Amino acid sequence: MSEKVLELKNLTMKFGGVTALNAVNLHVNKGEICALIGPNGAGKTTVFNVITGVYTPTDGEILFNGANIIGKKRHHITGLGIARTFQNVRLFGEMTALENVLTASDVHKKSGLVGALFGTRRARREERESRDRAHELLEFMEIGHRSDQLGKNLPYGDQRRLEIARALGTEPQIILLDEPAAGFNPAEKVALAKTIQKIREKGYTVLLIEHDMSLIMGISDRVVVLDFGQKIADAAPKEVQNDPNVIAAYLGAPSDAS
Amino acid sequence: MVFSAKRYSRRGYDVSEELNLRDQGAAMWESWNRPKRVAFAIGVIFLVALLPYAADFSITSVLNTPITSYQSVLVYPVGMFVLMALGLNIVVGKSGMLDLGYVAFFAIGAYTQGILGTKTGLSTWEILPIGTFLAMLSGLLLGLPTLRLRGDYLAIVTLGFGEIVRLVALNSRETGGPNGITGIPNPTPLFGQRFTLDNPKAYFWIVLVMILLVIWMIRRLSVRRPGRAWEAIRQDEDVASLMGVPTLKYKLWSFSIGASIGGAAGVLYASKIMVIAPDMFTLNVSILILACVVFGGMGNIWGVVLGATLLAYLPERIRFITDARQLVFGLTLVVVMNVRPDGLLPRKKREKIAVKDKE
Repeated sequence: MSEKVLELKNLTMKFGGVTALNAVNLHVNKGEICALIGPNGAGKTTVFNVITGVYTPTDGEILFNGANIIGKKRHHITGLGIARTFQNVRLFGEMTALENVLTASDVHKKSGLVGALFGTRRARREERESRDRAHELLEFMEIGHRSDQLGKNLPYGDQRRLEIARALGTEPQIILLDEPAAGFNPAEKVALAKTIQKIREKGYTVLLIEHDMSLIMGISDRVVVLDFGQKIADAAPKEVQNDPNVIAAYLGAPSDAS
Repeated sequence: MVFSAKRYSRRGYDVSEELNLRDQGAAMWESWNRPKRVAFAIGVIFLVALLPYAADFSITSVLNTPITSYQSVLVYPVGMFVLMALGLNIVVGKSGMLDLGYVAFFAIGAYTQGILGTKTGLSTWEILPIGTFLAMLSGLLLGLPTLRLRGDYLAIVTLGFGEIVRLVALNSRETGGPNGITGIPNPTPLFGQRFTLDNPKAYFWIVLVMILLVIWMIRRLSVRRPGRAWEAIRQDEDVASLMGVPTLKYKLWSFSIGASIGGAAGVLYASKIMVIAPDMFTLNVSILILACVVFGGMGNIWGVVLGATLLAYLPERIRFITDARQLVFGLTLVVVMNVRPDGLLPRKKREKIAVKDKE
């Protein structure tokens, strides 16, 4: 099949005596929408945190385009092309929507403090370009009219959209979405599904944590199921739905399994 | 200062709903074109530059400070406090790092001037960049290991640093120990102005130039990458780093820029008062500068300028009530912070004010 953008090999993450991830193998192919599901506490968000450098894994490897990224600084990992959103919206509330995206897009800027101070030609050009791009991204997420409003003043749904726009602002190759549909009504979920597909069409790879099964089954190419820090399934949505292990994890095992 | 709020508001957002001078001022500024802005800025600078003469007329003589000379008060504490509060504001207000040892950088600047001024033939103007650089360097050295800490922990470490610098000054032979350094030379004349005890105006204008330089710098940085990075770090450092902001690097920049401004103020201060001693650089000064920042409005340049001006000037103005002075000062702080908890001119709310590139 196609090439793997992101690959976790034997990834183990222990917090003291708790094993949050136990030798997880997982990969994401270029250009696909891969869903990561599992019951609460299965370790889904921990996977995101380990990939983005929030935690250093106890054991295992994380390969991004074939290169190990464990131990790299967070901003470095973001700069390589991995962006994420958060389960609980974590915008910069005191910044406008536009500035939220600009802050993220600064990661690829060459000019820094001196350029900003003296307004060098490069700094001004970069600033102009990233402004145009930020406006584009806001339009793309259908919140262009919100660009001058503060993050904290946006309606909930727009805050979630802005989080995605901000993540896209870092020009990632892969975007990690942590429960983007949380708190959405059915109509909003349908709109979100379309947006995620549009994101894929733009050439981004998507790794998605979600609880809403209809959303996942509708858009993902592949579903990975975690339970108690272990991968118990990795297949097309249809197959996963009928997998006895998955059903057991979600609904409890039949009586003979105890 | 009552502007017609409706005139300047956009998108039906009525700024007059609450008393918000900051937003009204910013909206007014927004509505101007460049020549108008430049003319306004020059006008304001000109008026401020005339401040030393402000108390000369019979109506305005209330401005005069009893006991101390009004013109001297404009230099220290007013000018110096504004300068240092602006520097500290970059650290505390912009990037959200609580620094309780800011006086250390002021002391480093002052002692650089004290030692180099008495032992070498260098003039203040030559020592100024050296002192600024040394303060910056010490900010960097202190910041490298400690800026991984946050909040209260960072506050404690910086508090310790402030005390360390003072104690080193108190116990070293080079710094004159508890007696400090005497006979520090005044600055050499510049632009026909003599820098002597009886000509405080000259010092005021130099401090004013430094303040303007710092304001220009902060405004420049604020609307571009560094300003956004600081703002992001202040609001949520974890998210900032995950969105690609090199947090340690920008925290170090913030810390060392703030430090260098403190250092520059110290050099000039030592050169003006000619005598420095360790007990001028106590924790009290750090706290007072911090109070200026909080009182005026953390993160907002004009708030900080206003806060520092008032907090520096007020105690001098009410010196005649002797013992009750500190009481009134403290009471003012308490009352104002209760009425305006975010400071006199709070940080921007600027819903409608898009940051624009001026080109």
